[in-house]
Amino acid sequence: MFLTLFTYLSIIAFFGLSLYKAAQFAKMPMHGRWELYPVPKEADDKRHYGGSFYEDVEYWNKPRQVSHVGEIVDMLKEMLFIKNLFVNQRRQWWICYAMHLGIYLLFLWAAMLFVGGIIEVSGTAVTATAGGIAGFVYYITLLSGAAGGILLAVGAIGMFFKRIFDETLNKYTNPNEFFNLFFLFAVAATGLVVWSGDIGFNYGREIMVSLLTFSPIQADFALTVHILLLGAVMIYIPQSKMSHYVGKYFSFHKVLWENTPNLRGSEMEKIVKESFNYQPKTKTSWSAPHINPGAAQSEK
Amino acid sequence: MSKIRPQDMGKPVEQVCQIENLMPLPAPYDKPGMEPDFKAPKDSWKENYCATLDGFVGNDTLTRPKTKEEQDEMVKKFLSGLEKLFNADTNRGMLQPFMLSFEYCAKCNTCADACHVFKSSGEAEIYRPIFRSEVLRKIYQKHKKGGSLVNRFLGGDIDINYETVMRLGELAYRCNLCRRCAQTCPLGLDNGLLAREIRKIFSMEMGIAPKPLHESGTMKQLATGSSTGITKDAFLDLIEFMEDDLYELTGKKYKVPVDKKGADILLVHNAGEYMAWPENPAAFTIIMEEAGLNWTLSSDMIGYDNVNYGLFYDDVQGKKIGAAQLKAAKDLGVRRIIQAECGHAHKASMVSQDRIAVGADNIPRESCLPLLEELVVKKKVFKLDPSRNNFPVTLHDPCNIVRMMGIVQPQRNVLKAIAPQFREMTPHGVNNYCCGGGSGFAIMNSFNFTDFRNKVSSRMKFKQILNAFQDTIEDENTPKYVCAPCSNCKGAIRDILEFYQATAKFNVHYGGLVELIVNAMVQFDKPFMEFLRDDEDMF
Ligand code: SF4
Ligand code: SF4
Repeated sequence: MFLTLFTYLSIIAFFGLSLYKAAQFAKMPMHGRWELYPVPKEADDKRHYGGSFYEDVEYWNKPRQVSHVGEIVDMLKEMLFIKNLFVNQRRQWWICYAMHLGIYLLFLWAAMLFVGGIIEVSGTAVTATAGGIAGFVYYITLLSGAAGGILLAVGAIGMFFKRIFDETLNKYTNPNEFFNLFFLFAVAATGLVVWSGDIGFNYGREIMVSLLTFSPIQADFALTVHILLLGAVMIYIPQSKMSHYVGKYFSFHKVLWENTPNLRGSEMEKIVKESFNYQPKTKTSWSAPHINPGAAQSEK
Repeated sequence: MSKIRPQDMGKPVEQVCQIENLMPLPAPYDKPGMEPDFKAPKDSWKENYCATLDGFVGNDTLTRPKTKEEQDEMVKKFLSGLEKLFNADTNRGMLQPFMLSFEYCAKCNTCADACHVFKSSGEAEIYRPIFRSEVLRKIYQKHKKGGSLVNRFLGGDIDINYETVMRLGELAYRCNLCRRCAQTCPLGLDNGLLAREIRKIFSMEMGIAPKPLHESGTMKQLATGSSTGITKDAFLDLIEFMEDDLYELTGKKYKVPVDKKGADILLVHNAGEYMAWPENPAAFTIIMEEAGLNWTLSSDMIGYDNVNYGLFYDDVQGKKIGAAQLKAAKDLGVRRIIQAECGHAHKASMVSQDRIAVGADNIPRESCLPLLEELVVKKKVFKLDPSRNNFPVTLHDPCNIVRMMGIVQPQRNVLKAIAPQFREMTPHGVNNYCCGGGSGFAIMNSFNFTDFRNKVSSRMKFKQILNAFQDTIEDENTPKYVCAPCSNCKGAIRDILEFYQATAKFNVHYGGLVELIVNAMVQFDKPFMEFLRDDEDMF
């Protein structure tokens, strides 16, 4: 039963801690504008060259055009393909993208295991020969799990060695960052070992059934090690720098692409007005003489 | 120390970095002897300032502590300032962007290739965009969590001594805050922002900032009305001189409207223009008057100088000046403010200080560039003869106007209409390179800092200029013009053209956009730009 509880805990921790992290960023005070062009949500005729509403005379008198489609397309390019790295550092992109694609595929794999688990609980076996949705789920699980596991393992260990042998990357990599990559590799490698004994991922669906029916997970030594490592990494990721999936959302949406002007009568004006009522929570202030002559004086 | 790492910043060495392999320049600067060498730091500078980073001294108030107490005090103050960056009360305006860039760097090094300082220096390690950021992270980690083994594992492996602090205080002024690196970061992080946050610790906590930015910059502007020291009376005199000059040049009496209550437009210049490039406000005068616009200048405190150096180093100073500028406009009762050709003033007033006022206090601010496009291209208000500008012209994109505000096309559309030999630099638009004068460098001239600017931070721009003019660069009879619609950029470009003697040897000139427009006006007999006046057969 320990493994069942631990798995629950790790899933809750992964999503819970990620959301907590996001909430911490979300509740930070409204910051001064710090956008950077191109901003993909600018009007269709401007965004391709990085233009903005500031190119129009009396922009403040004109309705603001915002292209949410442009924003979503750019966001997807960045999320799904790591576009910036592809454009600016093709050589590193291959290995880095392999790792990330592996993770995306493993999310799909986990979702498919979950669906497979539900199908099995409802009485239909998910097998290679099953027809209809059960067969479909079987093969998608197989493909995403196999490809995801291999890509993650190759990507993580590839990045690990790249960071060891590339002089510049090595110089800027802290020991814990090597550890993170190795941790991911270890999870993928143990997964591949377990998988090699059960190509159809039936063990995965059994785990899902155990989770769905709240019953003990049956696991041999290799599977136990894999479950423990996978659970541990899920608890660890949101607390480490690997939670950059949270940061990335805020960096782009709330900083680089956030260019809403504070126009009279606008929603933004209300938010700005509101922010004037802010009461400091601490008594701290900056100490330089031009800001706080008292502090400078008392130190003399 | 050729293999320097961020953790070596506090090491007791005479100089952590020596620039050795400057990026080569294109012809005719590819031959030996075409550029002056670096000036070695003098012993007295070494004794009193921080010349132990790369041998340049840019931060002229960062003086070397003499006693052990002073040294400890410097470290203590730095650390207390560092903590304030993480506090929502003291870093309210930048907490979120700061925390994101501070926390998430994946050290993928993608940003390095985007940085002109790093590339120009021949990839000197300390100028790699993440170097500075990593030093800051290590200091914080060590300060917060101590020097245990676990903490070293997490990156807290650096000595925090006064030398580390001083070097970081200099290194914060080896970045133009151009944010080109941030455009390439897969995680949307910003090493320029972190450099500015470091500057804030020094200025806002320790009272240390280069004199041209602080003492004779924002402090002087708040005290006298302008960082140039021009008072109201001096400003009014300058306007009279400008009117006289205009009469002499055009034969027409222009009256500059000053303090006209209720005007449609309050036009604000960088006050440095009146002294260094009076032809620029003069050309604006002609354009506004000939277009029949209802406009005015302000002679009110701070109303006649749009600069806001707070943008470069200090949030509090930035806000004070931004608020004073809005007040001057409100007092005049104008409908809108138009920023003339000054990049950082554009960004400061329209972007950085956009969220400091509401309602009637929040006077709309616009760029002059769309207005110029409207007058010249869309409404064709003036009679222009582009053949008067028939010489090679290239355009510099000021980072603050283009990369940080998205104003890309209006200036190009104007140039295409008035300059038949207009050609782009490579790259251009939002991907442009900084002029090397960004973030205050253009006005920082202490000790040997100008060497760093001219030979390193402006080097990429000089290369781009040479490349844009490769067809005629060695033809000294053909004038060539770098159009830079920004005071700061003009300052940096003026200095590189002088330093490399590009004007004297190769007839390369620079100036704003409005001068070219006025130069094309058929109603005037004489060329508007001085370098063309000896060559009157052009007209
Ligand atoms: S590109 Fe971004 S994530 Fe990569 S090293 Fe530079 S700042 Fe860090
Ligand atoms: S902001 Fe500009 S100068 Fe500074 S590190 Fe980035 S690219 Fe280099």
